[in-house]
Amino acid sequence: MLSDLYIRFRSLFRRTKVDEELDDELRFHLERQTEKYLQAGMNPEQARRQARIEFGGLPQVQEECRQARGLTFLETLARDLQFGLRMLRKSPGFTIVVVLTLALGIGANTAIFTLVNAVMLRLLPVRDPQQLVVAEWSARNRPHHLWTSSFGDCQDYEGMRSDCSLSYSMFQQIRDQKNLFANAMAFAGPAQLDLSGNGAATIAQGELVSGSYFETLGVMPAIGRTLDSGDEKPGAEPVAVLDYGYWQREFGGSPNVIGRTVRLNNTAFTIVGVADSRFTRLTPGKSVDLWVPLTQGTQLGQEWTQINTSNFGADTNRWWLVVVGRLQSGISRKQAQAAVNAIFLNDALHGTTPVWTAGDDPHLWLLPAQQGLSGIRYQYGKPLMLLLAAVGIVLLIACANVAGLMLARSAAREREMAVRLAMGAGRRRVIRQLLTESLLLSLLGAALGALLAYAGATGLAAFFSSNSYSPLRLDLEPNWRVLLFAVGVAVLTGIGFGLAPALRGARANVAMDLKGSTTTVGHGARERFGLGKWLVVMQVALSMVVLAGAGLLLRTLNKLHSIDPGFDTHNILLFSIDPELAGYNKRQISDLYATLQRRLDALPGVVDTSYSSDALLDGGLWTEDVRVEGQAHKNTVESQMLSVGPEYFETMKIPLMDGRFLGKSDMRGTQLAAVVNRQFVRRFTGGRNPIGLHFGGTDAKDPQWQIIGVVGDTKYATLQKADAPTAYVPLTAGGATFELRTAFSPVGLMPAVRNVVHEVDNNIPVIRMRTQSDAIDRLLFNERLVARLFGMFGALGLILACIGLYGLLSFDVSRRTREIGVRTALGAQRRDVLLLVLRQGFVLVVVGVTLGAAVAMVVTRLLGSLLYDVRPTDPFTFAITAVLLIAIGLIACSLPAGRATRVDPMTALRCE
Amino acid sequence: MSVNRIDLPQGTLDLLILRILALGPQHGWAISERVQQMSSEVLRIQQGSLYPGLHRLERRGWIKAHWGASDNNRRAKYYELTKSGFKQLEAEKDAWEKLTAAVGQVLRAV
Repeated sequence: MLSDLYIRFRSLFRRTKVDEELDDELRFHLERQTEKYLQAGMNPEQARRQARIEFGGLPQVQEECRQARGLTFLETLARDLQFGLRMLRKSPGFTIVVVLTLALGIGANTAIFTLVNAVMLRLLPVRDPQQLVVAEWSARNRPHHLWTSSFGDCQDYEGMRSDCSLSYSMFQQIRDQKNLFANAMAFAGPAQLDLSGNGAATIAQGELVSGSYFETLGVMPAIGRTLDSGDEKPGAEPVAVLDYGYWQREFGGSPNVIGRTVRLNNTAFTIVGVADSRFTRLTPGKSVDLWVPLTQGTQLGQEWTQINTSNFGADTNRWWLVVVGRLQSGISRKQAQAAVNAIFLNDALHGTTPVWTAGDDPHLWLLPAQQGLSGIRYQYGKPLMLLLAAVGIVLLIACANVAGLMLARSAAREREMAVRLAMGAGRRRVIRQLLTESLLLSLLGAALGALLAYAGATGLAAFFSSNSYSPLRLDLEPNWRVLLFAVGVAVLTGIGFGLAPALRGARANVAMDLKGSTTTVGHGARERFGLGKWLVVMQVALSMVVLAGAGLLLRTLNKLHSIDPGFDTHNILLFSIDPELAGYNKRQISDLYATLQRRLDALPGVVDTSYSSDALLDGGLWTEDVRVEGQAHKNTVESQMLSVGPEYFETMKIPLMDGRFLGKSDMRGTQLAAVVNRQFVRRFTGGRNPIGLHFGGTDAKDPQWQIIGVVGDTKYATLQKADAPTAYVPLTAGGATFELRTAFSPVGLMPAVRNVVHEVDNNIPVIRMRTQSDAIDRLLFNERLVARLFGMFGALGLILACIGLYGLLSFDVSRRTREIGVRTALGAQRRDVLLLVLRQGFVLVVVGVTLGAAVAMVVTRLLGSLLYDVRPTDPFTFAITAVLLIAIGLIACSLPAGRATRVDPMTALRCE
Repeated sequence: MSVNRIDLPQGTLDLLILRILALGPQHGWAISERVQQMSSEVLRIQQGSLYPGLHRLERRGWIKAHWGASDNNRRAKYYELTKSGFKQLEAEKDAWEKLTAAVGQVLRAV
C-alpha cells in the first residue's frame, strides 16, 4: 500500500526523473539485445533492427509502463480540472453567477467565523497557556464591608455573585504557595492615563501589573526588558513596558524609546522595554497600550491601588486585582483550588472584617485562564453564535441556489453525458468529473470569499470597536482555524450542491438523450423539475426564517426606542473629563466645573449645562446599600446613586414632584442634601412624607443625606430594566460627564465645546464626546448588531431565493414552449397563460413561506434574550414577513410569466 | 532459433517474473533471457510487455528496484523479490499447479 502511494507520488512530482529512468531502463535492454545479436554474427545495422522488432513499439511500451505505475488517479484529477476549467470558461455567465453566489455565502461565513475565532477560540498568546489558572470567587450574596472594582475580565454569572477581583493580601498568599504555583501574577486595569512627552497629550490604556506578570506568562521582550520583581518594590523607579502595536503606532517602532521618559498623569516614567509582538492580549477584546508596576498606581493618581505595605491585613477588604497563576508541573487545578479555597475562606469568613457568613457559601475557584478570562466573550458570545447560525442559513440558501443552476445546466449537458456513457465512461467516472467541476467552482468561490471575509471581518470589528466604551482589540489575522473553516465550508458546499446534479448526470438515459428529444416533457424532465422545485421551496423557507428573526429584532428596537426614559434624550451633548489625572484637588475641581458650566452655558445654541458623575443611559451604574430613616435598624436596601451638579434636572428635563431641586448652595453645603425619585419614595419611605428624611450607609463614617426633593423616575443603566429607586446627591469630587442641552442637533457644537475645555485648561483631555442618542445606541449595540446583520443576511437570502425562483420558472417556460403554444392555439388567453405560470410560482412561494414560518416558530426562541416586549412567535411580525416574501416572490415570477404570454404559437409548434 | 515457440498465456507473465527473481536480483533483459533458457527456449516473452509487468509488480510491492552496475559494468535497473513477493509467488504457484492439474485431468478424461 505504502509503496503504491510512494510510487504514485514520485510519478507525479518527479515526472521527468521517472521518465528518464524508464528511458534508461529500456535503452539498456535494447543495447544488450543488440550486443547479443552482434555476438551471434549479425552486422550492427541488422542487430539493432532485429532487437527493435522483437521489442515492439517503444512509445507504446513507455505508455503501458506509465499506466502500470498507476498515474491514473492524479493524472485523471489534472485532466478533470483541465476539462472543468474549459467547461467553466465556455459558459462564463454561469460561472460568474455561481462563483459570486458562493463567494458571498462562504465569505460571509468566514467573516463571522473570524470574529468568533478572535473572541471565543483563539488561545492565549503566551507560553503553555494550559498551565495558567485564574482565581474567581462566587457566593450566594454580594460580599459586605468590601470595596471591589473590576474591569470586565471575568464574566458575571447571573444570580450567583461572582468576580475575579481579589485583595493584594490574597494575591500575596497565593503567590507564596510555591509548591502549587511555579509563579503567580496580578493585574488591574487598564486605567486611562494621560500620556505626555511624546507629541500632544493623549490617553493611553495602562495596565497595572505585578512584577511577576511577564515572567508568569512567559512573555519575552521584543526589545529592552520586561518588568521584574524589583520594579514592584516600594520606592522603585517608575518604569513602563510598551505594547508592541502601541510602540509601532505611537513611537514609529523606534528602538530609541528604551530609556526615554514619558509623563503619565504628570509623573515621569522610563520606558524600559517593548513586549513581544505575539503577545497581543490576555483578556479577549481588552486593549492595553502599556504596563506599569501596580505599586506605581498611587503615583498615577489611582488611589484605589493603594497598598498598605506595612500591614497587608488592612488590605483584605479592598479587592481589585485579577490573580493568574502558573501551576507547578504535577499539580492539578483541583489540588491547587482546594488549597487556595481554604486560605480564601479563612480570610473571607474569619478575617478581621468578615465579608460573608458561612450561609453565603463563598468559594474560590481556579479556572483555566483561557476560559476564565472571558472579557467580551460574555457580552458578544451569544450574538456571534446567532450570527453564525444566520449566516450558515444563508450558505444553505446559496447552496440550494447553485444546485438549482447546476441542475438546469446538467439538463443542457444531458447529451454530453450520454455521449460519454455511450463511449464507455463508467458512471463513477462521470460523477467524479462533475464533482470535480463543482469543487472547482466552490474553491474559486472560497478564494474570492476569503477576500470578502477579510474586508467584512475588519468592518465588523470596527463597528464593534466604535460601540465599545474602551478601545477594543480583536485579533483578526487569519490563522489555521479560519483557513481550515473556509476550505472545509468550500468542500462541503461543493459536494452539497454538486452531488445531486452529478448523480443525475450519471443516470442519463443514453438511448433517449442521444435521439435528441430535449424539448418534449419527458419523464426525466418532470422528475428534475421536482427536485428543482424543492430547492426553491427550501430557499424561500430559509429566507423566511432569517427574515422573521430580523423582523422580530426590528420590532424590538422599535419598542425599545419608544420607551420613555423619563428625561428628554434629544439634543444632548455629552463629554467626560477627569481633572484628577491632571493633578487637580477637590477644591480646584469644583471651581473648574463651575467655570466650565458658566463658559459652556454661554455658547450660542446651548440651552442648559450641567454635569454628573456618570451620564444616564451611558453604560455606567453606581449602586449603594443604604438604610433609610424609619426602617428597621439592620435593614439595608439597594439604591441607584448618581452625583450631580447644579441645574442637572433642568438640563435633563426631569420633572419635579415634590420639594425642590439641588441648587448651587447644596454643592458645598454642610447639610448633605439629596433628591430621590418616585420609586425610592414608593418603596423605601413607607408612606411617610419623604421630605426631610435621612438615608445613608450603615457605617458611622458613611455620609447621611437628607431628602429635599422628589423627581420623576428615569432609566439609568439600561432601557430594558424597570425604573428602580434612585438617589441624586451633590457632586463634590472626581471626574465628571458634562451634559449640554442644545437648541438644535448638538453634533455641530462639538468643536466649540472642545475649544472651551482647551481654553480653560489644555492639560485636560476630553474623553469620549458623544450625543445622548449615540450613548443609547451603544447600549443597544447587541440588538442593533444582530438586527442589522440578520436584515442583511435575510435580504441576501431573499435575493438568492428570487434568482432561484426566476431561474426555475424561466427554465420551465422554455421547456413548455410547445405546450404553451398549443394552449394559445386552442384559444387560451394571455391572462390564462400568465396565471398558469404565476400560479406555479405562487404555490412554491407559499409552500416555502409556510414551511419557513413553521421552522421559524421553533428557532426564533433562540433570540429570546435579545427581544424586548416581543414574543419569539409574534404573529404580527410573522404575517408582515410572509406578505413581504410572497409579494417579492411574485415579482420574481412575473418576468418569466410575461415571457410565457409572448410565446408565438406558430413558432412554438414549428420548432419540433 | 527454435521453431516451436509458444506465446505466454494471459496472467502467467507475473508468475514467471516472480519465479525468476526468486533466484536473486536481476535486470529486465536478463529476466527475459532466463525465461527462454529455463523453458528450454519454448516460452517466448514479448520483450516489450515485460516492462509494464515489472512496473506493475513494483507498484503492488511484490518486487523492488534499485540501480546497480551490470556484468559489463553499465548502469542497469535491478529488481528483487520482497517478502510479500515471496508469499505471492507461493500463492500463484499453488494456483497454477491446481489449474494445470485440473485442466490435465479434464483432457485425459475425454
